[in-house]
Amino acid sequence: MIDNVLATATLLTTPILLTAIGGLINRLGGIVNIGLEAMMLAGAYIALVVSSATQSWPLALLAALTLGAAIGLLFSLVVTRLDANEIVAGVGFDIATAGLIGFILKDYYHSSGTIRLPNVLMLPRIPLGPLDQVPIVGAVLANKDPLTWLSWILVPVTAFVLSRTRVGLRLRAAGAAPEAAVALGMRPLAIRDASTVVAGALAGLAGAQLSIGIVGVFSVGMSGGRAFIALAAFYFGRNRPGLTAVGAGLFGLFDAIQIYLQGRGVPPELVQMLPYVVVLVVLTSLGVADRKRRLTQGG
Amino acid sequence: MTLAAPGVLRPDWGTAVAAALPFVVALAVGAVLLAATGRNPIDVYALMAREGFGGANRIAATLTAATPILFTAVATAVSFRAGIFNVGVEGAFYLGGLAGAVVGFTLVSWPSPLLIPAELAAGALFGGMWLTLPGILRAWLEVDEVVSTLMLNFVAINLTLLLVNGPFLAPGSANSATPMIATAGWLPRLLPPTTLTLGFFIALAVLVLYFVWERLTPLGFEARLNGLNPRFSRAVGIDVRGLILKTMALSGMIGGLAGSAHALGVTHRFVVGFSPGYGWTGLAVALMGRNSAIGMLIGAIVFGALASAGTTVQLFSDIPLEIVDVLQGVVTIFAVVRFARIRKRPGRA
Repeated sequence: MIDNVLATATLLTTPILLTAIGGLINRLGGIVNIGLEAMMLAGAYIALVVSSATQSWPLALLAALTLGAAIGLLFSLVVTRLDANEIVAGVGFDIATAGLIGFILKDYYHSSGTIRLPNVLMLPRIPLGPLDQVPIVGAVLANKDPLTWLSWILVPVTAFVLSRTRVGLRLRAAGAAPEAAVALGMRPLAIRDASTVVAGALAGLAGAQLSIGIVGVFSVGMSGGRAFIALAAFYFGRNRPGLTAVGAGLFGLFDAIQIYLQGRGVPPELVQMLPYVVVLVVLTSLGVADRKRRLTQGG
Repeated sequence: MTLAAPGVLRPDWGTAVAAALPFVVALAVGAVLLAATGRNPIDVYALMAREGFGGANRIAATLTAATPILFTAVATAVSFRAGIFNVGVEGAFYLGGLAGAVVGFTLVSWPSPLLIPAELAAGALFGGMWLTLPGILRAWLEVDEVVSTLMLNFVAINLTLLLVNGPFLAPGSANSATPMIATAGWLPRLLPPTTLTLGFFIALAVLVLYFVWERLTPLGFEARLNGLNPRFSRAVGIDVRGLILKTMALSGMIGGLAGSAHALGVTHRFVVGFSPGYGWTGLAVALMGRNSAIGMLIGAIVFGALASAGTTVQLFSDIPLEIVDVLQGVVTIFAVVRFARIRKRPGRA
């Protein structure tokens, strides 16, 4: 039972983690991106369509990545060049994209919610030979899709890039001190746009993992607020990739537990509420700590 | 981080054009989509205009659909005026709706003149308490209100669902819904057979009160001052913490009232998926109307017309209802473009 829950939790963590890393990069660059939900949904849709049409999962991933990045760029331009408020514009992108995909589903596939396409090629699962049989380790590591591995690799890579490289420094400068960045000859808006494109691409991949990694169909509610959970994860992680990954893993585990508990007398809403409550608790305790520090320093 | 655009005091033509711009862009985007799928956009828009405003029945349907949006717009504007970027009205709407419904199906023996005010008061009370929480977090602990209210929306949706599947579930009901509210607790219909209820006029009254509040009351003045320049308002001795707390409570009360009015006037119970995002639509309308009473009234009616027209257009033609979401989404995106440079608080944890 533990192995089952852990195996599911690992798979369910992947879209949250991919999106959270993108969202974190985006936020360090200066944009809180709620539109990631739209990019995830679009990625899920296009990945299924391309996989069905070409029977090639790399092409499907490429399509999801590209579409996510393109929507990310559009969103970013609205925010950075037209001065739109990022939260409201993000909500607008979520509504418009879900509407557009719903429109296409009804108009083209004559379906009001879910589509199944012929000959969809799912993402391959990577076996690890003898490790598969080891309890817990096997459940977590064995038979996972490439995107899950990518999400794990991205955690240390992102941490390294952000803290140790020129690119990371510039990104943080563009987010934290745009005026200073301009004075140093950087183009903070362009850097900001680039960070949104990266976030969009990762959210697109996250969507692909949902449609061709886990279930093999597409439905309009597929992203199911996972971008908001991802947001909760990087707020939980205070912009640190490692801690953000812990948050994403925790929320993936909640998700798996909720599925396991279905029909066993525990209300699913209770578990679904947890990520958001955890973030509120974390933010509150950080606030209390800051206040204590201020009071002792000020007094 | 001012939420007030220039020209708020004296609405001028520039502001009016700027406010209309999002609709123009949205109609253009929608036209491309319609044309690309082999339809004549002008025919579709004409049909929608007819379904939105053609005749007393359709106008009543539009005003009915505009009611929750008008409420949530005002609820949002109260906090925006004070420079607080509160996105939590959606959550207050859910809680207020459930509170109103619970009173309505519990106190079944009460007569209308007592029951309806009790239901509305319950909604306002729970909505107000709900948003007081992020108000406290912001005022004393400097917890970013955007994140806290966003998170609280999801908590509210799941919390009400938990309650409606638990203690408040209608006996014998499979779908997540409370029992029906006693008919004495329904908001009366004003122009039968149309769907227009007293709710629309309560929303109008709240809008007028908002107008009076922001122009004539000390709290409204302080809120505007803080919204325009928080450092100045602190320097002249305004109790900013008290102001945050009061405006958040007020915003929550109006949001809760919105929810209970929706339960009493439209759904007559609390049911899963209670709000299709009224809080967010209201937020877009508040921004588009630049927090002005008349601007929000126009915005709410336009969004109401879109919603009511979309439903019937799908019935009478082959155009998917989702065209309305596309239009709404694009309007929302462009509602905030170029003007109102709201909070540019870069990367704070």
